[in-house]
Amino acid sequence: MKESRLGWVARRGTLAVLGLIWLIPVYLLLVNAFKPTESYDAEKIWTPDPNFGLFANLREAWEAVGLGESIASTALYSVTGPALAVVIGAMAGYAIVVLRLRAGFWWFLLLFGGTVFPSQMLLIPLFLGYSWADLYDRRFGLVLIYTAVSIPLAAFVMRNFFTGVAYEMFEAARVEGASTWLIFRKIYFPLALPALGAVFILEFAFIWNDLLFGLTLSQSDPVRPVMTTLSALSSAYAGSSVPVLLAAGLVMSLPTVAVFLAAQRMFARGLALGQF
Amino acid sequence: MTATTSTGRRRGRGITTGWSALGFISPAVLVVAALLYAPFLYTIFYSFTDYDGLTSPKWVALDNFKRFLDDPALTTSVRNTLFWVVGTTVVPVAIGLLIALLSFGIKGGTLLRLPFMLPYALSGAGLGVIWGFILQSDGAANDLLHLLHLPGADISFLQQSPYNTIAMIVAMTWQQSGVNALLFLVGLQSIPTPPLEAARLDGASGFRMFRHITWPLLAPLTTVVIGLSLVASLKTFDIVWVTTQGGPGRSSETLAVTMYRDAFVSSDYGYGSAVALVLTLVTGAVTVAYLRFQIRGQEKLR
Repeated sequence: MKESRLGWVARRGTLAVLGLIWLIPVYLLLVNAFKPTESYDAEKIWTPDPNFGLFANLREAWEAVGLGESIASTALYSVTGPALAVVIGAMAGYAIVVLRLRAGFWWFLLLFGGTVFPSQMLLIPLFLGYSWADLYDRRFGLVLIYTAVSIPLAAFVMRNFFTGVAYEMFEAARVEGASTWLIFRKIYFPLALPALGAVFILEFAFIWNDLLFGLTLSQSDPVRPVMTTLSALSSAYAGSSVPVLLAAGLVMSLPTVAVFLAAQRMFARGLALGQF
Repeated sequence: MTATTSTGRRRGRGITTGWSALGFISPAVLVVAALLYAPFLYTIFYSFTDYDGLTSPKWVALDNFKRFLDDPALTTSVRNTLFWVVGTTVVPVAIGLLIALLSFGIKGGTLLRLPFMLPYALSGAGLGVIWGFILQSDGAANDLLHLLHLPGADISFLQQSPYNTIAMIVAMTWQQSGVNALLFLVGLQSIPTPPLEAARLDGASGFRMFRHITWPLLAPLTTVVIGLSLVASLKTFDIVWVTTQGGPGRSSETLAVTMYRDAFVSSDYGYGSAVALVLTLVTGAVTVAYLRFQIRGQEKLR
């Protein structure tokens, strides 16, 4: 059906105007993050400054809160956490679907049930337990919790994925004398890699953006993840200037923005299945 | 390979895979049990105790829950959480639907949608940093309202309750509308063409088409989008923590912030656990009630 000319203009016009409104905060962020601290003036936040100050601002944040080490630690958390989780989750899915674990569905419910309650239910015992076990403010402790919270989604996706794989493949490999571990490693795991990649990316973004666990389970500059560092930088007593804060916020957001724009649709689908 | 060894293996398989199946699932079960279920159960236990983390927990039965009744911080926090629930399940969902409908099936739709998609990838902390800057006293928000001669140009948004909560809900709307639009687009694409064509042949168009055809067909997806916003809004923490830390005073706290402050600022782990438990029960009850309501609504539609 052909759209009327008026409809054509109205649709695009409304979208464009709304879009411009939506870009105002982005504009303000960019303009002020790129300003040198010395030229920042609360009265002139709308005008760009000819001097380029982004790198100087970042250096200041780097020195004030150890941004560099924090970024390195966060990279470690958001890569190893999901990586371990997808392997462990794939093993669980394999046990339930392919090895036909007895009462497999109940095991699955047990695993998936781990995500249905708010993380507020975990924080206090985790903090106390981590302090007791000397895991508080340790990188290993954070890798552990990020792995744990990533497992349920991985197990969920893998259970669905392996259900769609022909069982004959497993039988044939068994007849040839392959062990269950060998079949997992050589056949099922490689087969699942694309699906696991999707889970990995979703969980990478989730962990990169996490504030709550970092806030609760770490305190020193090198160990705490970036969002916790950003939160510390923004609190009133940190005394950092607006451009420094915005520059830090901008740089820390880049990894997830890049990942998200590259995989928008996957995110929408993952969101719908991840939280329900 | 001879037939006998082959059947021998096959006979043995039931037992072998039984044990190895347990072996394959045990890492997942152990990690989830130790790091998710054990803390969950401990929080329930702590919520009935008085516990400062130093001396051992003292059983106080329901005292923590009775304290709710005369805790003004908690009353404010419940009110704010309600604001968040209503605010973020209505406005961003409506705007998301509008964006999806306007940009569905037009050339360059992806580009026109980009401004709405950008904010979604930001973390709650990043969002707090940007909007803390925009909403500061005499900041960008005030400038804009002043320019447009709208009311509110002189309000210090982050300093006054309930404006601080409302202003942060606006920030959340800025972030969430795009992803809601994306979800609705996935829904629009899955609508089969025959009913749409039939309606068109019958002369339906514009709003009537939306009201009678598109909207009912989108219903399952709307359930998901509103459900997601509902659950997320009850747990609002990051943006509040970074923008106002729940202040000034405790005026912009949500339940999740109250829980964090009671536990980790005041070291009142028993009371903090009780707030966490109530938050969980409320989230569970609201989710179940909402889903039942939705399912009944959809059955009626049939």
